[in-house]
Amino acid sequence: MANAIEVQGVSKMYGRVQALEDVSFSVGKGEVFGLIGPDGAGKTTLYRILCTLLLPDAGTATVDGFDTVRQMREIRRRVGYMPGRFSLYQDLTVEENLQFFATLFGTTVEAGYDSIRAIYSQIERFRDRKAGALSGGMKQKLALSCALVHSPSVLFLDEPTTGVDPVSRKEFWDMLGTLKERGITILASTPYLDEVRRCERVAFLDRGRLRGIGAPEVILEQFRDIFNPPGIERRGAGCVAAPQQSTRPENVIEVEHLVKAFGSFHAVDDISFSVKRGEIFGFLGANGAGKTTAMHMLTGLNQPTSGTGTVVGYDIRTQHEQIKKHIGYMSQKFSLYEDLTVAENIRLFGGIYGMKDDEIARKTDELLERLKFDDHKNDLVSSLPLGWKQKLAFSVSIFHEPGVVFLDEPTGGVDPATRRQFWELIYDAAARGITVFVTTHYMDEAEYCDRISIMVDGKISAIGTPDELKRRFHQPDMDHVFTYLARQATRSAD
Amino acid sequence: MKQFFSFVLKEARHILRDRRTMLILFGMPVVLMLLFGFAITTDVRNVRTVVVTSQMSPQAQQAVERLSASEYFTITATVATPQEAEQLIRRQRADLAIIFAPRHEGLQLMVDGADPNMAQQWTNYAQQVLVNRSSSVITSKLLYNPQMRSAYNFVPAIMGMLLMLICAMMTSISIVREKEKGTMEVLLVSPVRPLMVVVAKAVPYLVLAILILTTILLMAHFVLDVPLVGSLFWIVGVSIIYILLALSLGLLISNIAQTQLVALLLSAMVLLMPVVMLSGMLFPVESMPQVLQWVAAIVPPRYYIEAMRKLMIMGVGIHEVAREVTILSLMTLFLLTVALVKFKTRLAD
Amino acid sequence: MIKYLIQKEFLQIRRNAFLPRLIILFPIVIMCVMPWVMSMEVKNIRVSVVDHDRTTQSQRLVHQVEASRYFIFCGQEPSYQAALAQVEHGTSDVILEIKDGQYLIAANAVNGTKGGMGSAYLSQIVASAMEKQVDGKTALAGNGPQGAVLFLYNKHQNYKLYMIPALFAIIMMLMTGFLPTLNIVGEKEAGTIEQINVTPVSKWAFILAKLIPYWIIALFVITISLLLAWSVYGITCAGSLLWVYVLALLLALFFSSLGLIISNYSDTMQQAIFVMWFFVVCILLLSGLFTPTRSMPHWAYLTTYVNPMHYFIDAIRTVFVRGGGFAAIVHQLIALLAIGILMSGWAVQSYKKNS
Repeated sequence: MANAIEVQGVSKMYGRVQALEDVSFSVGKGEVFGLIGPDGAGKTTLYRILCTLLLPDAGTATVDGFDTVRQMREIRRRVGYMPGRFSLYQDLTVEENLQFFATLFGTTVEAGYDSIRAIYSQIERFRDRKAGALSGGMKQKLALSCALVHSPSVLFLDEPTTGVDPVSRKEFWDMLGTLKERGITILASTPYLDEVRRCERVAFLDRGRLRGIGAPEVILEQFRDIFNPPGIERRGAGCVAAPQQSTRPENVIEVEHLVKAFGSFHAVDDISFSVKRGEIFGFLGANGAGKTTAMHMLTGLNQPTSGTGTVVGYDIRTQHEQIKKHIGYMSQKFSLYEDLTVAENIRLFGGIYGMKDDEIARKTDELLERLKFDDHKNDLVSSLPLGWKQKLAFSVSIFHEPGVVFLDEPTGGVDPATRRQFWELIYDAAARGITVFVTTHYMDEAEYCDRISIMVDGKISAIGTPDELKRRFHQPDMDHVFTYLARQATRSAD
Repeated sequence: MKQFFSFVLKEARHILRDRRTMLILFGMPVVLMLLFGFAITTDVRNVRTVVVTSQMSPQAQQAVERLSASEYFTITATVATPQEAEQLIRRQRADLAIIFAPRHEGLQLMVDGADPNMAQQWTNYAQQVLVNRSSSVITSKLLYNPQMRSAYNFVPAIMGMLLMLICAMMTSISIVREKEKGTMEVLLVSPVRPLMVVVAKAVPYLVLAILILTTILLMAHFVLDVPLVGSLFWIVGVSIIYILLALSLGLLISNIAQTQLVALLLSAMVLLMPVVMLSGMLFPVESMPQVLQWVAAIVPPRYYIEAMRKLMIMGVGIHEVAREVTILSLMTLFLLTVALVKFKTRLAD
Repeated sequence: MIKYLIQKEFLQIRRNAFLPRLIILFPIVIMCVMPWVMSMEVKNIRVSVVDHDRTTQSQRLVHQVEASRYFIFCGQEPSYQAALAQVEHGTSDVILEIKDGQYLIAANAVNGTKGGMGSAYLSQIVASAMEKQVDGKTALAGNGPQGAVLFLYNKHQNYKLYMIPALFAIIMMLMTGFLPTLNIVGEKEAGTIEQINVTPVSKWAFILAKLIPYWIIALFVITISLLLAWSVYGITCAGSLLWVYVLALLLALFFSSLGLIISNYSDTMQQAIFVMWFFVVCILLLSGLFTPTRSMPHWAYLTTYVNPMHYFIDAIRTVFVRGGGFAAIVHQLIALLAIGILMSGWAVQSYKKNS
């Protein structure tokens, strides 16, 4: 059998929704094969069928020469699978999680250590900490370690690097390279274009159909509108865009020697910076560098251990309730109410910020028109695709015209075209004078910011405009700047 | 085998790490045993009694003395008219009034009839105290539980309820949690047999159930002085059949439920309510309408509680509970078969 | 802004596939089934008779036992041993042995109430039969002029009348206790609470917005229950309905606050439900809902002073069964109000917007 995976005319329906329609392709032994496509394209369904977790309605699939319907046990003995919403056992420690999964796959941590060294070594010093206490990106790294600890003949990875910082993503793909050398076939999906390029071949799925298959460059070129939308031109120029501020630049956020300690561990270790009104400020850093903790202190969710700071003129230690009136916030985890409709969510948050009914109604219509959401006004949020949800969540967070809006990885797991639309919204907001404070792991987005800071080990190691930073560190683009700085890190989790 | 133990270890860690749930799991039997053993009694005691008389006749005086001498009644007030007494009862200041009619020999009892059982018992006791009945030809004997301690009745019932709760509810929730969090997918797509995943999940709960059973039995014996007259071997034996039954039920629920909330509600509504209400634990099944008695006939704890009452308190031999044990075994066999046949080795759509 | 938050809670309840059905069906099912189940009325006691005398007198007694509404006659047994075997086998509850004009009543008292009541009823029948025999009069032992009994309020000794107020309490407790418990933990697990925490919503507004829907649900549920009690069982409130509603609101205040407190301190739904369940069982058992509180030992009786359910059940039975007015329940009203305010204050206090 030459091919590791053979898919022939596979279809699958969920009720009346066609998740997969007549999909056929094959993957050779030892190939790194990418599966790309927007949210809801049917990637997860395909993974589940190949892993024998679901039965196809029509068509056949074989993995390593075994039929997914009849030879379930043979396949399960041979494959490794990391689902998209892979979650660890939160109440077990890092080491216990790893040991459990190693034993589950009939191996030991020692035997599989080589294949996970690059990533696991970053979190190894937290081996006695409970998985639930790790930051989002750290959890993902542990999950990767758990998935790679054994050596299956076929490895299925469903968006394994969502929320992982660029440096760790590179390391992860290097690891996949070594697995390939050992003859392991890898089927991976990803929203990151740099990762797509590291596959040997990719298949592009869209709404259940296979739209194209071939070398990454060919596919990316063929569907350029979707994967490589033209860059955005900023209307107006940066912080001077806000008309009333052009003469008197005012600092909306000012932070001096801010520290947050959990016991002896300093998650945020003496940071100072300021953000001007109307600016788009990119707050970058590796997983566990302390970004989310810093943001929580600025938004009044957390009390600083020491240091001072003001947001829109209020003290973050004592006046956090006043701050909350003048800021917007969009958290990492999507946090609108899924069981309310689009209009109801807008109305709720408008009401919370003390807006009047007629004002809410008027602005809701405006907003929906701008987003081209008119038809979906009364749809439940849970029924919207991820990209739409994110755009909606952002619009809701600036609905009350706050002085500053905090965005914590707003575009995680979103396809390139939607990300571009998202950034248009950000530019719109900045043009209206709303200061934007954003964290991201996409370095192309970092280029869109007026100024950025890069956090390493709880400290800010660089701050400036993207061009200044590239010049200062003699690097061609932000990706390299980031990699250069993050590689100097000594600690690896918050 | 190594994988199996690693599973059991992991599951045990989940249980041990959740301190609050652990505390409730072990605190619950202890608190319930203490409450039922000491606090919850239907004994007639401290009945607040009002004496209604315009003037104390010697006869009334004698009756009042006899009442207050008994441990059942406390005289709280003396009023002149029945209306005043009724006011007191209405305001919950008294339960019973004894009315000595002026210029008459007789007396009348006025009782708060809100709770018919207690009202009946209060009047029975009051009459016994007030009237010397010449009933020497009647001898009453209360078998097995001469002091009418409610603990004798409730210990088997608590066992029936808690074992069901822990085994069925906890097992189903812990399996469904893995489904909800997505870890079940990884476990299924591993070389481990799916069935072993589930069996390994059940083992810690089996151990936990046996520990709790031991706690209950020890407390029953040493703290509540409930006799364990029957054979310990059979008590434990029948309990294990019952635990297996509960585990199969838990497995069955986890097959149906997709979210923890549904599993919780299913266990609470479909398991807990019938167990508490229809098992004869609190309310006698034979007083219920026929339809409910039929429903009660398929509630497994009913047979377990019945068997435990007979084995533990009455001390009968195993042949006397053969019927209950047979029914329980058949139910276990049936549920286990259904649960295993229905067990999904793939994801549900 | 609280208006919007309350609206949101109602929308969420309505959108839930399960909750609206639960809110309507639960009281109906409970009210239609439970009064039949929760009867501690002792009846259908199975009697085995061992009649060694075989006189006309003993025959007549046996007929009387058969005719009684409390007993089911299981048949004659040749010896006491044979009858005891029946008891051990679980097919009989009480043995009546008649030998040389002496009567022995032996009751299975594993269930104390049943055994005690059974033997009491049986001895009443025997005693009255004997008195008839001896005096030829119609006077009964328990009903003679010496001790006429007047049952107040519940004249027909209807156990359902006693239990229905208790059912109100149970329905209220489950609806207004468990639903709020799941609510905040649910928002925690979904991550939406973080979004709320960065808005200027005050703690009071947030908690009140969570509580008010459950009070309205409480009023709705108690109305259904009252209607059912009237239409199915013909049982109506003896006192003023106003006080039934006031009491229901106060109880809802306590239980919804308790639910929110527990969910504020819990991380997972499972944990919250278990803790809530534990408290509910203790509160229920020590409230006097099933058993008289005054029979409790002193230490257990002391706990009833802080048990809102105890005040509620006392007061609602006073209003519903005994027909008491404000003066009769003022003490309970004050206690319930005080406990309720304390608990809702704690609920607000324990909700942390900032750590």
